[in-house]
Amino acid sequence: MSATVSTFEMPRTISSQRRTKDRLFSIALWTSVVIALIPLLLIVYRVVRLGVAAISVNLFAHTALPASLPGGGLKQAFLGTAMIVGLAIAFSVPLGVLTGIYLAEYGSGRIAAVVRFTAEILLSIPSIVAGAFIWALVVVALGNFSALAAGIALTVLMWPIMARATEEVLRLVPTELREGGLALGYPRWRVIMRIVLPTAGAGVFTAIMLAVARGLGETAPVLLTALGNDFVSTNPLKPTDAVPLRVYNYAQSAYPAWRALAWGGALMLLVGVLVLSVTARMLSIRQQRRMR
Amino acid sequence: MKIHRFARPAVIAAAAVTLVAAACSNTSSTSSSSGSTSGGFQGTALNGAGSTFAQPLYQLWSQSFLQKEPDAQINYQPIGSGGGIEQFTAETVDFGATDVPLQSDEIGNLPNQNYIEFPTALGAVVFAYNVQGVDTPLKLDGTTISDIFLGNVTKWNDAEITSQNPGVNLPDESIQVVHRSDESGTTAVWTGWLSAESPEWASKVGADKAVQWPVGTGASGNDGVASGISQTDGGAGYLSYDFAVTADLGVADIKAPDGDYVAPSIDSISKAGGGLTFPIKSDTTIINSSTKGAYPVASTTYVLIYTDQTDQSIAQTLVDFWTWSLTDGQSQTEQINYAPLPSDFAKDALKEVAKINVNGTPVTPTSPTG
Amino acid sequence: MATIGVPPHADAPAALLTRRRRFGDRAFRWTTLVVSVGLVVMLALLLWVLADGGWRAIREFGLHFVIGRDWNPVAGRETYGALPFIFGTAVTSLIAMVLAMPIGVGVALFLNESGAGWIKNPLAVLVDLLAAIPSVVYGLWGLFVLVPLFDHTVEPWLSASVGKVPVVGGLFRYQGPGGDMFTAGVILAIMILPIVTAVTREVVSVVSTDTREAAMALGATRYETIRLGVLPTARPGIVGAGMLGLGRALGETIAVALVIGNSTNISASLFKSGYTIPAVIANEFREATSAGVHRSALLFLALLLVLIALGMASVSRLLVRRTARMMGDDVAAQEEAAASTLGLA
Repeated sequence: MSATVSTFEMPRTISSQRRTKDRLFSIALWTSVVIALIPLLLIVYRVVRLGVAAISVNLFAHTALPASLPGGGLKQAFLGTAMIVGLAIAFSVPLGVLTGIYLAEYGSGRIAAVVRFTAEILLSIPSIVAGAFIWALVVVALGNFSALAAGIALTVLMWPIMARATEEVLRLVPTELREGGLALGYPRWRVIMRIVLPTAGAGVFTAIMLAVARGLGETAPVLLTALGNDFVSTNPLKPTDAVPLRVYNYAQSAYPAWRALAWGGALMLLVGVLVLSVTARMLSIRQQRRMR
Repeated sequence: MKIHRFARPAVIAAAAVTLVAAACSNTSSTSSSSGSTSGGFQGTALNGAGSTFAQPLYQLWSQSFLQKEPDAQINYQPIGSGGGIEQFTAETVDFGATDVPLQSDEIGNLPNQNYIEFPTALGAVVFAYNVQGVDTPLKLDGTTISDIFLGNVTKWNDAEITSQNPGVNLPDESIQVVHRSDESGTTAVWTGWLSAESPEWASKVGADKAVQWPVGTGASGNDGVASGISQTDGGAGYLSYDFAVTADLGVADIKAPDGDYVAPSIDSISKAGGGLTFPIKSDTTIINSSTKGAYPVASTTYVLIYTDQTDQSIAQTLVDFWTWSLTDGQSQTEQINYAPLPSDFAKDALKEVAKINVNGTPVTPTSPTG
Repeated sequence: MATIGVPPHADAPAALLTRRRRFGDRAFRWTTLVVSVGLVVMLALLLWVLADGGWRAIREFGLHFVIGRDWNPVAGRETYGALPFIFGTAVTSLIAMVLAMPIGVGVALFLNESGAGWIKNPLAVLVDLLAAIPSVVYGLWGLFVLVPLFDHTVEPWLSASVGKVPVVGGLFRYQGPGGDMFTAGVILAIMILPIVTAVTREVVSVVSTDTREAAMALGATRYETIRLGVLPTARPGIVGAGMLGLGRALGETIAVALVIGNSTNISASLFKSGYTIPAVIANEFREATSAGVHRSALLFLALLLVLIALGMASVSRLLVRRTARMMGDDVAAQEEAAASTLGLA
């Protein structure tokens, strides 16, 4: 039977009917595991197989070309995503960390409860809604689609993630550290910034990686705010391309060359988010071990 | 308050990324230009959006135009004719593109009534299909096609189809209709023709950029429809001629007003263009042309630009690009299955482009084009 | 560990130290407070912007907006009845839940309760990877792998077998190739599986070992321990996990838009093409004119969507917390929330 309870002697008489139910239950659990893993394996296999075929220097070095010309690539999409995500990080990290600090260090009152509740339900916000919101706010105000608008739309999604994750890692820092710092005469804010936050540093970094992994692959908010661009754009106030957006468009195109590029872009997205997620998970396990 | 540890690296990272992007864009980001850049106007980046029908053409033109003005990065995003009109109205793009002329309420919505609207090339909307075993073009008339889209004709071996195609082995297979899910000028042209051919269609569904389709699944853009048809046995739908050719789909010969079945081709499309004149009106159309041998469902695509520009570089690039497109660019149309404008009409279009001005001063093209 | 030196001005006069420290502390605390409240303000602003934009549609169409079946954005013939999208959203989400809940709870129980320790960590990592896959990659795969597979194999087979059963069979009538609601539901099920698993795991793990050991002391098999000892306590939390998954399914846009067929149908057959609220917003938003009611209609749909999704998330939170609190352990509740945050992201 189970290995958890060690010392107690199990009663010997378990009717065969009960034993069968237990067996069936085990089988059911194993079955569900297998069913859950099948799509993952199928998707990864297909994306890797078709995506690898599209990997070439062209993919990274060339910008988009009309399907009638050979040799097009996704260069402008990679750089566009970098710009959009870079902006999103620049906004959501300070905002998220400060919110997390408030919730963890000052967060026992009514206001904090409301903020915490808001952050948690915002984790479930449909990304298309974030896109529509920022379109109405930024695109209309600016008068055109832009990387900035897309970055702000991603911030709407990434801020709650950063806030909740930062709060949780800060809470894991032992109170003794805070008390020690205060006892030495440091003002509270220095204790937080110089002692607590650095101690939780890896955890905050993990949070950033998870937030970025989310933002990297988002198509819907970018669809409504960035318009897309066939060329590399360095102006954050102008339309820009992004990898998920380009993959979405190319996926529906009728040209085999573009569809191949779509698989290539999908593979790069997959690699990106998997690397970030796995690294974040490993870091968080290490961080939790440190805290214990 | 000190900027805490992680904000600084984050900001530096964002700045570094932007700098890298800037560095990358300074090196040539497209295939190397071998054209002469005589040190004149280098062009500037433009944004246009609209018709998916025009996408292959405008994207080819913008690549070619980079040879003349290397900084003229003309970003064209095919979001559908409806999108082109909306973004043009919202002034979020430098030019809009639509397959259907502006209608009166759309004109009324424009913030500025000083705009130009001119066709750039000719094309056609074809009936494309993917039926096993049918290798020669099917002959179909407007009534039959309307019945297919109405759902009155549901099988490929229906009498309406077989009667026009004796000797063709049509399977007992369902017709899987694919239509557009986005607002589209191609749809407007197609439904306009269906309305002209079938009173039942005209009263039940009507003609516009988006309609309530009685049957079928929706796909996004001309390429979505092409993709949908090619992946479905028995699939059928309407799409622009160039997409049908590229997607290697079967294309029907359609019955013209004079009774002949006409196949879409550069030649038959060109024949339909003779009726175009300025000014462009809401009901300007070249379907069911009376010229013999003209393809009945021919169409054109329009560009929308406000005449009163404020930015000199943008205005200059607009003028140069569209002047080039209406002259040298016309020779590139056939290689990707579009037909050029009739040459006299193209000259009239140039006069429209000449109306673009910056704060009252007309903008002339940078260099004389042959 | 950071080295802690003696703070500067340690021997400054007491009065100066207090004033400077008070100011620094107050400014810092105030800054974090303002930013945090900013988050709430952002949500309020979002709701207001959508409501303000969507107001026109409601004013012109009223209740008909929600129960009407015709969606026609064409100028001069505008009518907006969102029932096809509400229907499609409900149906696809329901299919997703029916498929994902049993499997998700099963995987969660496996991870927590099963004895085979070697497989737990790798398996947990793999389920997390499912969560990390971007929606557009799911959509791309769905479009080119799942749709043809379902069209050519699964749906005809189901139609020929289950489709013959009276009453229920009507759901499984094969309608022809192309995307459809069933395929969309399956893709959604795969996408929400990780959330259901992660939250269920945390909920189940909070149920204290006391309960389990007591059940085992009474001679219960593992199955009985779980069914009678763990699950009843965990049930509110599992329902919460389901609601979180449902919320995610409702809001998923891109993958669904690529495989659902994008037609405004309301039909009994699951194999018919359909449309969902997020998909229509994504497809029509950039071409929706501000002059007519089209854009307003889409913004109102966005408002509906976000209210439902946030409502689900709120109820889910209550339920998940309730299980933890039933165990008398608020720290555990917070830890579970932490883990589920990391799992969700």
